Amino acid sequence: MCHRWPPFAKLFTAIAMILAATCVPITHGPLVGIVACVIFFAHTLARIPLAYVCRRLLFFWPTLFLMAISLPLSQAGQKGWLLFVTIFVRGTLSFSTALWLVNVMPFDQLLATLRHLRVPDVLLAIVSLMYRFLFVLWDELDRMRTARSARMFRKPTLWETWRSAAHLVGRLLIRALDRADRIHGAMLARGWDGRTRWIEQRREDRP
Amino acid sequence: MHIQDGVLSPVVCAATGAISLGTVGYSVHRLKQSVGDRTIPLTGMMAALVFAGQMVNFPIGAPVSGHLLGGVLAAAVVGPWAGCVAMTLVLFVQWALFSDGGLFALGANVLHMAVIGAWGGHAVRMFVQRFFGGSRKGIVIGSVIAAWATVMAAAALFCLEFRLSWPSREIDFSKVFTLMVSFHSLIGLGEALITGVAISFVLNQRPELIWKMGTLARPHEGAGKSVHPPIATITRTLVAGLVIALAIASFLSPFASSFDDGLEAVLGKLNLELNLTGSVPGLLEDYDRIPVPVAAWQSIAVSFAGIGGTLAVFVLAWLLGKALPAAPPQLSEAAGE
Repeated sequence: MCHRWPPFAKLFTAIAMILAATCVPITHGPLVGIVACVIFFAHTLARIPLAYVCRRLLFFWPTLFLMAISLPLSQAGQKGWLLFVTIFVRGTLSFSTALWLVNVMPFDQLLATLRHLRVPDVLLAIVSLMYRFLFVLWDELDRMRTARSARMFRKPTLWETWRSAAHLVGRLLIRALDRADRIHGAMLARGWDGRTRWIEQRREDRP
Repeated sequence: MHIQDGVLSPVVCAATGAISLGTVGYSVHRLKQSVGDRTIPLTGMMAALVFAGQMVNFPIGAPVSGHLLGGVLAAAVVGPWAGCVAMTLVLFVQWALFSDGGLFALGANVLHMAVIGAWGGHAVRMFVQRFFGGSRKGIVIGSVIAAWATVMAAAALFCLEFRLSWPSREIDFSKVFTLMVSFHSLIGLGEALITGVAISFVLNQRPELIWKMGTLARPHEGAGKSVHPPIATITRTLVAGLVIALAIASFLSPFASSFDDGLEAVLGKLNLELNLTGSVPGLLEDYDRIPVPVAAWQSIAVSFAGIGGTLAVFVLAWLLGKALPAAPPQLSEAAGE
């Protein structure tokens, strides 16, 4: 049911939850528990599958763990472990909140909300263009990878792998810039004069 | 590389956020000034490219692999202002689509990867490039050194932010820093190598794509005339000096923080820990017999990472510059347009 909330409500709920998760001291156990419960409740309200959240957390935890484990490792006492737990709990809670926002708020809606919050038009225009062509570039990258592995007859040495991967990035760069030129031409053909115009949002997306 | 929410304290997040907001706001301002109508599609595509380029994996060891960060590359193609904006948007989309990195830590991430990566990287590259008189070799060598210096500068800043976030007297931050710095010197080497090879590839194939002052307008109409005034050399030198100083500081940070509690205290702590770990049979027993004090070993390790890393970057820069064929005259003229 969170999906139908007005976009502003979703964004500010998420910000408030992250704020609560990062500011409550870990020593206030019950308070942290309440924040965790609220976040969990939001997930169940939005019907986000638990298995999905767990899978994302499994990929997320190692990076957080690496960052947090350095504290107790450098100090044998209890203080280090307390900080470790603090970082770990805060990180996990705010990550799940962000995950909730990602799932209840489509990206276009987020951009529309930001536009109403007076984020500069240039930024939004660039980011919507980026979002549009991100997936095109991913597909292109995929095709180039396939082509590369089809051309390789033996297992490459480490240096060759590196070189070909860096060439992949360079080649993708050249193709992307050529594509940007074509897009620019197409935009000019449709009367682009450097100003950004937005199509009025659908009713349910309007903040 | 992305800092998550909760790793830094709210105050540090607010401070870094304010700095980033200022610098990115200034970048947007400069970008608006310099727009041809081509800026928006070009910057958007560059941001998408950095995002996609980060998906290309570079194997390091069996399970570990690195990837491109892209600040220096972005600045080399679209210039420091647009590069900074593009990197900021990449970080924002990574949060908004994949919840990668934190919302409040976004300020710190932008500071590390967009501001230092694009602005700082551009300044360092220009600074180094001056010694080569703007030749193509200079561009490659400059970007290799810039890529490495920006990663190390970001590591130093992260250490500082981490230290300020948890102001506890009992924690020996020097070890945290040792871990961070040696880890980042690997990342920095990878970034330098990837950026160097990618840029020399682009220079070989399409040298006109590398950014010159004010050529973000369309190539045929923007030829020759500079759209916005060049950045003052003195500012650029200052920024470059700052980034390089930070990179050097990252190697000094482990020593600096161990000064305040003294060598003896460190040794005392280490003995305690060695006694704890010594109970593991056979594994760590020899530690007691090594005549070198562990604190000294630590400094040797960091110095080694620092000196070795620096040397490796310079050798890399030299090799890549050497491998680049001398530019035929008509190509360098095309690059000058």
